[in-house]
This record gives sequence, structure tokens and C-alpha cells, in this order.
Amino acid sequence: MPETLTINALQQWLHRFASEITRQADWLTELDSAIGDADHGTNMVRGTAAVVTKLDGRMTGTVQELLKAVGMTMVSTVGGASGSLYGTFFIEMARNSPADVRLNGSELENALHAGVNGVIARGHATVGDKTMIDALEPAVTALSRSLADGRQLQCSIAAAAAAATTGRDSTKPLVARKGRASYLGERSAGHIDPGAASAAILLAALAASIGEGTA
Amino acid sequence: MIGIVLVSHSEALANAAMELALQMVHGARPPIRIAAGAAGGFGTDATAIASAIDDLATTEGVLVITDLGSAILSSSLALEIRSSTYQALISDGPFVEATTAAVVSATAGSSLTDVAAEASNALSAKKTQTVTGAGASVAEDTNPDNPAASAEERLINPMGLHTRPAALLVQTAGEFSADIELTNTTAGRGPVSASSVIGLLSLAASQNDQLRIDANGPDASRAVNAVKQLVLQGFGELS
Repeated sequence: MPETLTINALQQWLHRFASEITRQADWLTELDSAIGDADHGTNMVRGTAAVVTKLDGRMTGTVQELLKAVGMTMVSTVGGASGSLYGTFFIEMARNSPADVRLNGSELENALHAGVNGVIARGHATVGDKTMIDALEPAVTALSRSLADGRQLQCSIAAAAAAATTGRDSTKPLVARKGRASYLGERSAGHIDPGAASAAILLAALAASIGEGTA
Repeated sequence: MIGIVLVSHSEALANAAMELALQMVHGARPPIRIAAGAAGGFGTDATAIASAIDDLATTEGVLVITDLGSAILSSSLALEIRSSTYQALISDGPFVEATTAAVVSATAGSSLTDVAAEASNALSAKKTQTVTGAGASVAEDTNPDNPAASAEERLINPMGLHTRPAALLVQTAGEFSADIELTNTTAGRGPVSASSVIGLLSLAASQNDQLRIDANGPDASRAVNAVKQLVLQGFGELS
């Protein structure tokens, strides 16, 4: 059972994120067409594909360098608020990661918390605003709780991914208070937030990658 | 002179806002960069904004003016990922009005802080013109000292003191070291600083309103005279 995440595992995470985004792109766009501008799927496919291209061209370096490169790539290819927010997530993770080729449990926990806090600071959103924070915040809280309870990293990340999915579903009845969907007011209720949906995919991809025992 | 970066979801919108604002200035103009659109469509791109800011590194600071919500978000990320370190601020002013106010104010040689204040205040003139009743006028602190020079003239422009003459007045006022203030004595609005296009617009001065010009400083009488000539000549608008 792996208690550290190697840089290879992180790269697998990002590859899986890209392939899951591609697989679920139509659904993401459908969610976005209900309450946004119907481009979240397309934008995320473009951004994650660019990340994969970047990874395939450069397999060396530290966790810090990898995550920073991922963040900058997403900023310049996803576009709009999602690009800035996912970019911020990875750039803040990078800033709070070791200049090493692996992360242990508490380092991963720190980096993920920093990433989520960065997104919160950038977008000024909190839980209940019907944004990606509704998936991300419960995920890192679940991760910390599970690690504090002495459970293993793989199991704790699985708990984080489950919390992200629950958080994603919790956005359905909410009225959006941030982002483009907030212009719709009450009409935004009844639809899952597309940003929360892609964020849940991000966490599920992490759980699946570590689940393959890539220590 | 400070530089200006226009951040918009639409390149066409940013270009049009820039052209409209540049109508207000003559001769020298501030350096402006546009960071608009993302991936060939509507959107904003923090990396494009960062390079626009870096591109203006030789200016005396940069004001970033944004349109809808995520433009602010992308701009704040751009401030973090840019490579230059000189001062840059994100304006909270409304896009078109703030762009106009900032271009005029920057052309007059104002500091980044002053241009940012002008841009931020850019809705007040519109509010003065659309809200009726007391409290609509924008009062500013007045200097209790006796003005070194003053004059009063009637505004002859049929369209009143609109943006173009106001911008010309700001440019003229920028040539003097005296503090110049204008009051619309007919409507009881002001005094406002002659270096603020937004302040001047908030006078809501119409044709035949009496304008009082007060100046305080070493070249006060020359300043009052220059402004007086502008008013007398209808700001060059009457042929």
C-alpha cells in the first residue's frame, strides 16, 4: 500500500484526469449549457489535452516543477474563469510542494489544501455558492480527517474523492452566488454546477491513480 | 505617463472602448494594451494579461481595467504570474467609463493612484445625471484658503459640458501647477477639481449655466485665464 506519491503517480493522475474529462466532456458541456455558456467540457478537454502534451514532452523534474507547468498550461489553454481557477489550484499546490520527486501523505495534504485555499482566495467563493469549491473543500477536509484518524493514504484519498462527489451533487438544488451562473439567480437551481463536476473528476482521477499502487 | 491594460471577454469590445476613449485626447496618449478573448472566442486569459502588463514595464505603473466577473479573476492571477514587478492595479470602475476616465487622466500626467481613483469614480457622473433631487451632486473637499484667482463665465456650448470639453479642460488644467476648481453656480453643483473629467461631468453643466473658476497656486491667474478662454470659445466646438 503506497504511502508516498511519486512524480510518476502524479503524472498518471493528470493523464487520467485528461482521459476522464474527454470521456465526460459532453456531460460537462450539457451541465454548462443549463446554467452557463456551454463550453466547460470543450474548454477542459482543450486544457487537459495541452497538459498531457506538456507531460509527454518533459518527464523529468520535481513535483514542484511538474505542478507549476500544469498550472501555467491550464491558465493559457482552458481560458476564462475555469482556466484561472484550475491554474491557481496547481500553481498553489506547486508553491507548497517539496522540490523533490515524491510527496508523502502530509505533503500531499498540505499541497491540496494550499491549492483549494488558492481557489477560494482567487474566486472569493465559499461552500454553498454553487462552484467547484463545493466539491474541493469537503474533499480536502475528508482527506485531513481520514489521515488524522490514522488511515492510510490510499484510503484517505478515496474518502476525499467520495466527499468531492457528494459535494458535487450537493450543488444541484443550490442557487448560484458566484460566476456566470449567478446572473441566472433562482433559475440556476436544479442543475449540478459544471465546475464542481470537473473538480470531482479531478479527485476521482487521483484516487484511481493511487489505487493502482503506483508508489 | 502610466500605461493602461484593457481586459475584456471580447476583443471587439476592448478595441471599441479604446477608440472611444481616445476620442477624448489629442496629441500625446497613454500606452494601451489589450488582452481580450481566449482561445479564439469570448473569455479572458491570465497569461495574455500578464504579458500585456509586462509589455508596459517602461511606464510609470499600469492600471488594469476589466469587464465582466472572470476578467477580474484572470487579472488578479496575471498580477501573480507576470515577470515584471513595477506597480500595477486592477480598477473596480465600469469598463467603458473607467477606460475613458483613465485615458484622459493618464494623458494629463496623473499618477497611477490618481488615475485609479478617477477610473473607480467613473460612475458618479452618470449617477448625477440620472438621479434627480438633492444628494445627486458630488461635492468634494474645498480649500478654505482664499483662491488666488477666480472668474465666472457662462457656458455657451449647446451640448453643455460633456465629456469632450471636459477632457480638454483636464488637459489644460494639467499645464498649470495651481489647483483649479470649477463650480456650476446656476445648478449649485461643485466645486470639483478641473483635473477630474468625472468631477467635471458631475457638474452636469448645461448651456447658459454660470461656471465659476477658482485657482490656487503660483500660476493661479494664468490658469484661470486659460480656463476662462476655453469656456468663452466654447471649447473649440463652435465653428
